[in-house]
Amino acid sequence: MKENVASATVFTLLLFLNTCLLNGQLPPGKPEIFKCRSPNKETFTCWWKPGTDGGLPTNYSLTYHREGETLMHECPDYITGGPNSCHFGKQYTSMWRTYIMMVNATNQMGSSFSDELYVDVTYIVQPDPPLELAVEVKQPEDRKPYLWIKWSPPTLIDLKTGWFTLLYEIRLKPEKAAEWEIHFAGQQTEFKILSLHPGQKYLVQVRCKPDHGYWSAWSPATFIQIPSDFTMNDTTVWISVAVLSAVICLIIVWAVALKGYSMVTCIFPPVPGPKIKGFDAHLLEKGKSEELLSALGCQDFPPTSDYEDLLVEYLEVDDSEDQHLMSVHSKEHPSQGMKPTYLDPDTDSGRGSCDSPSLLSEKCEEPQTNPSTFYDPEVIEKPENPETTHTWDPQCISMEGKIPYFHAGGSKCSTWPLPQPSQHNPRSSYHNITDVCELAVGPAGAPATLLDEAGKDALKSSQTIKSGEEGKATQQREVESFHSETDQDTPWLLPQEKTPFGSAKPLDYVEIHKVNKDGALSLLPKQRENSGQPKKPGTPENNKEQAKVSGVMDNNILVLVSDPHAKNMACFEESAKEGPPSLEQNQAEKALANFPATPSKCRLQLGGLDYLDPACFTHSFH
Amino acid sequence: MNIKGSPWKGSLLLLLVSNLLLSHYIHNLSSEMFSEFDKRYTHGRGFITKAINSCHTSSLATPEDKEQAQQINQKDFLSLIVSILRSWNEPLYHLVTEVRGMQEAPEAILSKAVEIEEQTKRLLEGMELIVSQVHPETKENEIYPVWSGLSSLQMADEESRLSAYYNLLHCLRRDSHKIDNYLKLLKCRIIHNNNC
Repeated sequence: MKENVASATVFTLLLFLNTCLLNGQLPPGKPEIFKCRSPNKETFTCWWKPGTDGGLPTNYSLTYHREGETLMHECPDYITGGPNSCHFGKQYTSMWRTYIMMVNATNQMGSSFSDELYVDVTYIVQPDPPLELAVEVKQPEDRKPYLWIKWSPPTLIDLKTGWFTLLYEIRLKPEKAAEWEIHFAGQQTEFKILSLHPGQKYLVQVRCKPDHGYWSAWSPATFIQIPSDFTMNDTTVWISVAVLSAVICLIIVWAVALKGYSMVTCIFPPVPGPKIKGFDAHLLEKGKSEELLSALGCQDFPPTSDYEDLLVEYLEVDDSEDQHLMSVHSKEHPSQGMKPTYLDPDTDSGRGSCDSPSLLSEKCEEPQTNPSTFYDPEVIEKPENPETTHTWDPQCISMEGKIPYFHAGGSKCSTWPLPQPSQHNPRSSYHNITDVCELAVGPAGAPATLLDEAGKDALKSSQTIKSGEEGKATQQREVESFHSETDQDTPWLLPQEKTPFGSAKPLDYVEIHKVNKDGALSLLPKQRENSGQPKKPGTPENNKEQAKVSGVMDNNILVLVSDPHAKNMACFEESAKEGPPSLEQNQAEKALANFPATPSKCRLQLGGLDYLDPACFTHSFH
Repeated sequence: MNIKGSPWKGSLLLLLVSNLLLSHYIHNLSSEMFSEFDKRYTHGRGFITKAINSCHTSSLATPEDKEQAQQINQKDFLSLIVSILRSWNEPLYHLVTEVRGMQEAPEAILSKAVEIEEQTKRLLEGMELIVSQVHPETKENEIYPVWSGLSSLQMADEESRLSAYYNLLHCLRRDSHKIDNYLKLLKCRIIHNNNC
């Protein structure tokens, strides 16, 4: 009997199994919750994967309980998240709390449970992609063109209260490119791209992530066509500049070719050589200083050993206003045959090439009313002694660059590029004996003696730049760089007829105050308008300059030297030599044994146009 | 933003933002530290099940969603944050001590623990300063949850010890995220008037 029962049970079971197998019905397989996500920290959704369904309709249910609670709950929303999902709405969502959930699959045959899943909403945050991605090519007029990318945060995310914080990232690439260009945009919802390939079609995408959480998916791509002239503005400008430059260069080259030498000489005038009446270069070459000096009319000039080396060029001191003088000299030169042989291959007399006899002519008047620099005529002398007098170069000198230049073919000598060329001061202070003397000084003070107020500042600057012997050397170089094209040779005599500097007009009058027993001529400037004279440090007698006559030329021209005792250094000496002031003093003394006091009516106008009327002195002059 | 008579001067607002940066940084460190620990010692071994209800700060009534957070007033909110921070002083100290004393102490975890402890101290100081300025009437001796897991950290049984560390790091990760979120809420509320 028992055996019958057992066998019957087995048979029934087998029959049942057979039936099931024939029908394909099984209890459901084990489901698995594979993903939970919260897009905004206010709701979240979980999805499960069903197991085999056993061939029968299967119901799924999700049950959960939360950390700290014992009560079991069922999923509040199976619909919103789609099939096999459970959506937790706002009232069911809590942060910083673990959810323990599982899914139950049930069919006719049975049911099965998934494993428990421990979920904390805090760590499953992943937002949706940003929305409304807009891409635009912007080409502002005065700035570089750029790509303007703009987007919006995804919906249902609360940024305003600070509950949620979003960070963005964009990426773009040309359509055919393989690599993406990625840019992190922080919390901003716009971005500019500057470097783009013109003419290409770009793809742009954006994504976002919470401050702590997962990146969203990339937004759908937005396409943008970059115009071909994306960087045209820049290119156009540069092309225009290049073309313009080329045209200008061509014009310059053409002009130079046409004008040729004349232009070159105008820009780089040959340095004039000094011409000294009675100067014989041959004698110089021979080295017979005494003969040379005697020819020049100097007496007992202290021989300097190396003055030959200094005689490189001739300086022409010329004053075109004094026409008759000039003509005299111009006549004299050829007749005298004293046209010196220029050591300087540039056979010029030191005149400016501006078709004027000299740079100091009145043609140069306008721009050079005030010679702003004093040129140390070291072209002739060697700066042996800081105290030595220097012959100055009566060239027009540019203050600005300390480099003289001439107008190309201009009738005016434009070598006096003064700041205020129109400021013509007939009483230019360089006619002031004081200034003259200071100018003759040479050293740091040489250029400082400014002649005119307008050029005063310029001079001062030059003075500061050049100081001491350095300054002299510089001046010498500058002087040597002159290339004058003057035709005439004029004796290089300062007080005779030429102003060493600039304007040919009589600039100042000096009254001879008295002559002391040493033969020193005490002069009083007629007018003292030179307020800006530098370098009168503590001169007790500002209004009295003392000058000594160093020599007489042609029996009617007085060569003056400043009194070395005075603050003003030695005046320019007629001869191209300089010695220490004491030497000049001695020479003056020798030259003039006695010099009576000059009546005030004997006006001495230094600077060249007039000269001392010897009539006043002949009786006392040796 | 600043109403006349409001104690929130510019310097305090700056301090608030500065604290916010600290809290963000501390949570990043805590998250990394937990991940490294789990990956190395406890992954897939179900330690999470034992971490339920293990945080010593769960006794504090802290807001758990946006609506609850909106309802807390500023003073209570600030006090809450200070309490949480105070309650972590001791656990962090012991965490560093214990990890340092381990044989073959994991350097990555130790360095992060040290940094977290230091920065949390600074954050606490900053928050206490704010409270003293904005709510000077707040009593100094606020009650804060006490941690008593030291003995667990020192257990001989490795499983138990690992579980203790796991719980500690798990709770630290959570609470640092909480504080960071709270401060971001406060920032938008105070500085931007809920219009970040």
